[in-house]
Amino acid sequence: MKFRANLVIGGVLFAAVVVAGTFAPFLAHTDPVMDANLMNAEIPPGSEFWFGTDAQGRDIYSRVLHGARISLTVGIVSQLINTVIGVALGLSAGYWGGWWDDLVSGLTNMMLAIPSLIFALAIMAILSPGLTSLLIALGLTNWSYTCRLSRASTLSLKNQGYVQAAKVLGYSDIRIMATQILPNILGPIIVIGTLGMGGAVLAEAALSFLGLGIRPPFPSWGSMLSDARDQITTAPWISVFPGLAIFVTVLGLNLLGDGLRDILDPQSRARRA
Amino acid sequence: MLSYVFRRLLQAIPILLAVAALIFLLFSVIPGSFASSQMADGRTVMDAEAVTRMNQQFGLDQPVATRFVKYIGQLVTLDLGTSFRTRQPVWHLIAERLWPTLQLAFASMLFAIAIGVPLGFLAALRPGSWIDMVSMVAAVSGLSLPKFWLGLMLMYLFALTLGWLPSFGYGDGAMKNLILPSIALGVAPLALLARTTRASVLEIMNADFVRTARSKGMSERRVVQWHLARNALVIVLTTVGLQFGSVIGQAVVVEKLFAWPGLGSLLVDSVSLRDIPVVQGCILVIVLFFLLVNMLVDVLAAIIDPRIRYT
Amino acid sequence: MLKRLALTTALTLTMAFSAQAQEPRRGGTIRFTAPYAASFVSNDSHVSNQVQDEIYGYALHRTLYKWDSTNNKPVLELAKSVTASADGTVHTFKLRDDALFHNGRKMTADDIIWSFTRLMDPTKNYPGAAYVRRVKGAQEFQKGEAKEISGLKKIDDFTLEITLIEKADPGFLFRTALTSIFPAKEAQEPDFFNKPIGLGPYKFVEHVPGSRMVLERWEKFYQTGKPYADKVVISPMGEAAARDIAFRNKEIDVSILGPTQYVAYQADPNLKKGILEVAEVFTRNMGMNPNFKPFSDKRVRQAINHAIDSDLIIKRLVRDKAYRATGWLPLSSPAYDKDMKPYDFNPEKAKKLLTEAGYPDGFEFEWTATPNESWGVPIVEAVIPMLAKVGVKVKVKPVEGSALGGIVAKGDYQAYIWSNTSGPDPLTQMKCFYSQTPQSACNYTTYKNPAVDKLIDEAAATDDVAKRIDLLKKANGIVYEDAPVWFFNYNKAVMAYQPWLKGLQPNATELALQYFEDLWVDASSPAAK
Repeated sequence: MKFRANLVIGGVLFAAVVVAGTFAPFLAHTDPVMDANLMNAEIPPGSEFWFGTDAQGRDIYSRVLHGARISLTVGIVSQLINTVIGVALGLSAGYWGGWWDDLVSGLTNMMLAIPSLIFALAIMAILSPGLTSLLIALGLTNWSYTCRLSRASTLSLKNQGYVQAAKVLGYSDIRIMATQILPNILGPIIVIGTLGMGGAVLAEAALSFLGLGIRPPFPSWGSMLSDARDQITTAPWISVFPGLAIFVTVLGLNLLGDGLRDILDPQSRARRA
Repeated sequence: MLSYVFRRLLQAIPILLAVAALIFLLFSVIPGSFASSQMADGRTVMDAEAVTRMNQQFGLDQPVATRFVKYIGQLVTLDLGTSFRTRQPVWHLIAERLWPTLQLAFASMLFAIAIGVPLGFLAALRPGSWIDMVSMVAAVSGLSLPKFWLGLMLMYLFALTLGWLPSFGYGDGAMKNLILPSIALGVAPLALLARTTRASVLEIMNADFVRTARSKGMSERRVVQWHLARNALVIVLTTVGLQFGSVIGQAVVVEKLFAWPGLGSLLVDSVSLRDIPVVQGCILVIVLFFLLVNMLVDVLAAIIDPRIRYT
Repeated sequence: MLKRLALTTALTLTMAFSAQAQEPRRGGTIRFTAPYAASFVSNDSHVSNQVQDEIYGYALHRTLYKWDSTNNKPVLELAKSVTASADGTVHTFKLRDDALFHNGRKMTADDIIWSFTRLMDPTKNYPGAAYVRRVKGAQEFQKGEAKEISGLKKIDDFTLEITLIEKADPGFLFRTALTSIFPAKEAQEPDFFNKPIGLGPYKFVEHVPGSRMVLERWEKFYQTGKPYADKVVISPMGEAAARDIAFRNKEIDVSILGPTQYVAYQADPNLKKGILEVAEVFTRNMGMNPNFKPFSDKRVRQAINHAIDSDLIIKRLVRDKAYRATGWLPLSSPAYDKDMKPYDFNPEKAKKLLTEAGYPDGFEFEWTATPNESWGVPIVEAVIPMLAKVGVKVKVKPVEGSALGGIVAKGDYQAYIWSNTSGPDPLTQMKCFYSQTPQSACNYTTYKNPAVDKLIDEAAATDDVAKRIDLLKKANGIVYEDAPVWFFNYNKAVMAYQPWLKGLQPNATELALQYFEDLWVDASSPAAK
């Protein structure tokens, strides 16, 4: 197998973020919320505060580490919700067809037509800002591609011999979908999910900018970046580090997604020829 | 083809109605109200009586079901209602903001196509080369930056440091005002287009019909011209259509940052002031445009590639 | 503190002096910004209560009174004189006979009566109704019980009699752009608001929504020689970072600064020269709900005031863009008591008070806050560890700006942080602590104290200005002692202006509100032509 730069680089970047998030309590120097100390406000990066401190005197290094947990939570949970919804709807619609298929297709077309950021914005305004609201908002608004893809793949698979055989054996529909079809369509879905995680991290930042993200004291990268935008000339480090963290994470996820696509997505297999 | 267009238009109606219903229901449970938003400045006092009067005026005192029926009734007659804060018809407000948003959306898509597609081609012609690597990493990097952050950076660089372009605003709708926001908005679709172009070109190069053409002795150039260009164009077009919605969505952020007088900034203002009729109107119009652009894309695709049939 | 006040005054004086030293130059364009939102709400100044819209209202329209920023009081504008009846309810105005609308028509008493009557339109709920409803018969008109407002009487074209329901200074009622005088007949034309006309120094040219409003000099403005500039362009720019760049890039002549930029501009030798500061009439505070058990005890509320190091927050986080609050009434209020001392930062005392009140181990409360940088979550974030030191835990409940008012007015909170207007009229403001004032009408902490009620009643009844001020000072002192809120700070509004812009007024009610006829640009402006 050939060396895949994007897969390796993406994997390393993402793994670094996962490690940072997982071990944040051990790696961090201070508590990201309680250790506000106005006497230390806006100290540039140095030996004591590696990434400097913010306006409230909190250690940015510690906040960026803890922010990784939040961004990963946002990325993973929201994409899990999206994937579950998308796969459940797409697979069942493709398998059963009929009115259910029409309904799901209609729903998917509607979801595709509303820009997801705008939809998420509306949901955030309704649920009022916070982590749970964000997970719901991003989890409910991005499943249409997964759904379309699952449906299309299911349609092409459902007349395959082994699926027919399972039917003859008297397996239930749910069992066939779960054991015969799902494993065979998982590849592209994982790719979409990986790319979607990056999208969710960015969406969190955008919603924070619009005043509807996760509100502090949670050290979310989006809100750190958005809150520090006025200090960009006077204390750039406050926004540079969370900005870099977002960039690295999303870049990692995108590269990883591309790399996975090369391996998992049958449609792009042609490339290897 | 006309009947196809007509059918597509018909299909758009239930989607629009479903969106309208969804948005209505969502915003009927939103916390805060227009009356309470008026107090945000800490100067205005809205006593209970004034709040009641205001809610009566906007019909907010009626049960949700009644309001819903009324709202759908209005929609059917193409009436989007009256704005709470400006007391003007919502159509009027949207009409004022539509052109700037379309300008921005088209300019940024143009920017994305002009750079993204050639970049993708270039990368695909030498797969695995350093050109491929660099251009793809650059494209993915563009996709990985928060928009408002990128916008701020552009402002600092081109407006403040270099002084080449105005930092904000619509001006007279002049080109120079359009450049920075379109770049900020266009970077993400650029990246996607570069990737899609690369992937589809690679795929088509290896597809059977191209190989057949090659083996038949067609010159490499003709292969590229005929098959590649046509097939790739269709895929690019489809991507553009789908990206259009996302661009209009992201325009919310960019318009707010650059003080651009478009639908996006109108929408955000209206959400924060709880001017619900305007919110509903903006979303509906955005959805309508998305549907129209995609229909246009499908028709164009069919013209370019006769093998695609109207379905 | 006093030093700072003195400095502000000195600055004001220097400004006034330099304005006199130079002869105002005619011509050029004033490029103003409206910094509070991304757009104006409407071309109709009666519709929006937002400062944003009032900014252009100051150029386009005129009101019965105007705010004298130098002396901090309302003065007559569209009238030459006023006489009040003995009981202080009937006011007779001799109107200007030289005020022309932008179509050349002379303003008469009818225009004022029509404008005020429009504000009370029962189907419209214009925000200005809050002022006009104090006119006799206005509420009956609004309820549909009367055909006209009985308290508005035209004696002749240039004499107007206004009867109020109670004794009050009409100067505090009819001075904001919300009560602008529109031309009675013309304003009823269907297309009027596409190109509105008024009595102001500048007439409407165009409004590109979300982008800018352009106005040009009204040649027949009643103040001779004014306005100076040919044009005024007002760009709404809500995004502070973008405004900062535009200002540094010399694309706009003024910008309102937040704390961060305030520091940055002060540190810059060039930008430093163009900073105007004013103690605005806003008090930032944390309201505590007496229905939440711990906050029902005065000692707990005092403990909160002692536990928070407000000076440190003001210095480090608000970056001295605020003055420490020593009570409800702000520095620029005529009833400000300069002998009052702020609660000292004293965690031991706070701990002791909490123990006495029965909370030796502290308690937890939910703090409702908006994202606002000067009186929202960023402040709460700095307070959290301070309160934790005395055992009080804080749970932040983030809300949007548009929801805060509704939540507070309903009493649906344990604590909230807000910035509330505390001027210019001290009597109106102290009434927010009057037990009869409902929670929804600015008694947000349902404050109740018979002693304060009595003082306010007496202050309202007396005609002796000095005595009224004295009584209000006393009431303010009691409220301070009762600590219904954490007294955080009074806003210091800061405006940055380009060196070529002259004639800015230190408006303590809202610095962004400027009378454009007094502004002018010298030849060094990029838009001097």
